[in-house]
Amino acid sequence: MRRFFRRNAAGYLFLSPWLVGFFLLALGPILASLYLSFTHYDMVSTPRWVGVDNYVYMFDRDRRFWRALSVTFHYVAIAVPLRLAMALAVAMLLDKGLRSIGVYRAIFYLPSLLGASIAIAILWREMFGLNGMVNEALAMIGITGIGWITTPSTSLYTIVILAMWQFGSPMLIFLAGLRGIPRDLYEAAEIDGTPKWRQFFRITLPMLAPVLFFNLVLQTIEAFKTFTSAFVISNGSGAPADSLLFYTVYLFNEAFKFFRMGYASALAWVLLIIIGAFTAVAFATSKYWVHYENERD
Amino acid sequence: MTLNRRKLLQSMTALAAAGALPLPAFAQDRAIRHFWWGNPERDRRTFEVIEGFKAANAGINVTGETIGWGDYWTKMATQTAGGNMADVIQMAHTYIHEYAGRGALRGLNDYVGKGLDLSHYDAGANDVGTIDGQLYGINIGSTSQAIPYNIAAFEKAGISFDPLTWTTDDFAAICQKITDATGGAMTGSEDLSLYIETFEVWCRAAGHDMYNTDGTLAMTAEDVASYWAFWGGLRDAGIVEGKDATVILDKGMADLGIVKGTAAMTFRYANQVGAVQSLMTDPVGAAMVPQRPGMGFGHYVLPSMFLCLTRDSADVEAALAYINNWITNPEAIKILGIDRGIPPSQIGRDTLEPTLSPVEKNVVAYFGGIQDKIGPVPNATPKGAGEVRDAFMRIGTDVVLGYTPADEAAGMFIQDAQDILARAAG
Repeated sequence: MRRFFRRNAAGYLFLSPWLVGFFLLALGPILASLYLSFTHYDMVSTPRWVGVDNYVYMFDRDRRFWRALSVTFHYVAIAVPLRLAMALAVAMLLDKGLRSIGVYRAIFYLPSLLGASIAIAILWREMFGLNGMVNEALAMIGITGIGWITTPSTSLYTIVILAMWQFGSPMLIFLAGLRGIPRDLYEAAEIDGTPKWRQFFRITLPMLAPVLFFNLVLQTIEAFKTFTSAFVISNGSGAPADSLLFYTVYLFNEAFKFFRMGYASALAWVLLIIIGAFTAVAFATSKYWVHYENERD
Repeated sequence: MTLNRRKLLQSMTALAAAGALPLPAFAQDRAIRHFWWGNPERDRRTFEVIEGFKAANAGINVTGETIGWGDYWTKMATQTAGGNMADVIQMAHTYIHEYAGRGALRGLNDYVGKGLDLSHYDAGANDVGTIDGQLYGINIGSTSQAIPYNIAAFEKAGISFDPLTWTTDDFAAICQKITDATGGAMTGSEDLSLYIETFEVWCRAAGHDMYNTDGTLAMTAEDVASYWAFWGGLRDAGIVEGKDATVILDKGMADLGIVKGTAAMTFRYANQVGAVQSLMTDPVGAAMVPQRPGMGFGHYVLPSMFLCLTRDSADVEAALAYINNWITNPEAIKILGIDRGIPPSQIGRDTLEPTLSPVEKNVVAYFGGIQDKIGPVPNATPKGAGEVRDAFMRIGTDVVLGYTPADEAAGMFIQDAQDILARAAG
């Protein structure tokens, strides 16, 4: 035990700000929300215990719950691979050893810093509106655009594009990963006359697998939690026709618009379980495709 | 001292713990908070009233808190849950039953005549704010539905009409004329398919409210279907705004077609016409929601807002003094104007009369003109009415986009609304 602490003290020291925050600020509300998820709670009256009623209603009767799940799964399935591909592509470009790479890194990272902001979401709404920039650009090449955000079949993709544009943080991590691949592997491949695309699939991707795995898990969690952009672009409603009814937007409305805090807590726990399940699956399958260079058998 | 790891860890923990402690509340003998939803113009007026009150009551500090309508109710719900409501809050008739029913508001009966002077109010002016015999919300301005219209555009298209007696047929003909006169650059009106506020007038014209007195649904699928079909006809004719403008819900005022110049009419409550005018240069008039030919009057007059005293108010006496100043002090009445509605007392109206701007005069004249063309006060909105409004917009969107025919969608909406009400009551 003492040995364990001596070995890990530094680690815990660096974790301490997070741990303190977790125990003092986060743990209580988390446990409270678990309790509330079994109650009827309108935020004013005392919570009333209803057992598993909230969960039964959710799966059995709530059509909008399924709608919200469907929108969110669609989004995760499309946005995560696209964002990762975008991040990897840019990281590989930057890995070419450009001069003043720090500047480029900062510039490409910028959208991610701005991305979660209200201003960008509003900008997006204007850009993809009926008379927005996108349609004006299309008009120049003779195409009459539609209201991308006001048409339910396209509105989700405007948010996917926004997500792709915010490739900054996975890009930085990919870049670090690319830097860590020994150059002599590529040299050897060059000498053997291996084409570039095969070098990518045979050297780059396998060597990057741990980093890719890390990014995949993080970005999937992130995508499930998408809120601000959908909330702002749909004026908080998930409109048009519930095409932007992200799970978190639905949860927010149930809690703060319709005062069903108990039900919203149940929704939150279901989301947590879904995210947990996805992460578990990712970890379970990782041993088949993620290999660590210095793995000890 | 030497800084070793343990000491560092200890002091960091202590620091973090100290940061989590609440700051000591500074002793303030008398302090109250007033929370309202507003806009820059309304906020300016309200803060001026607060300053006036503080100057006259040196011992009482008043803090004003303001935010837009959408976020107001979110913040209110959070503060209510946290036991941290402001002493005095602004309330809407759509929510007053919700809050009073949950015990978040204080009954005011005991204070009337004792700190709260309502003797000058019009008869019945506080009926809507009275629930089961107990007064919860003090009326701070009456309003009614209105169709703000662009007077310049009407004149250019050569339209003359009576804004108090026109019918839906006249409305359609005028939309056609405006669209023709501008070559389609400006349509006749915003497509009001998703406004449950105008639907309510439509519904009442058929002889019943949206809700029964017992909180069940009174509107019928026929009401809804005919309403959506009416707007569908105008939309198909291309004489109201297109679907892309229509399906954006709860637009800010700056995004309204009438402000942007893409439509000549919209819907607002009468007290908001001044705010629409402040965003555009063409003069704005107010007309009634057009009559359905051969049917009854759908309009009503309601308090647009209430002042309420909350459960969490610690210094009730100070809060009441503040409220009383608001409703009786002529200086405060002049500062507030008709931004929150027409004052529900003759003293208030007389005080304001000489101070009104041209658009305010229009609104007051409009308000006077409709008095014999209004129906009874609607039944109280039941719990869940806010969610029904959302369902109306959501299912209406399917109609506007052409996914679902109006009559089929109307049936779906009625079913949804019944489910929502049943769940909210449970």
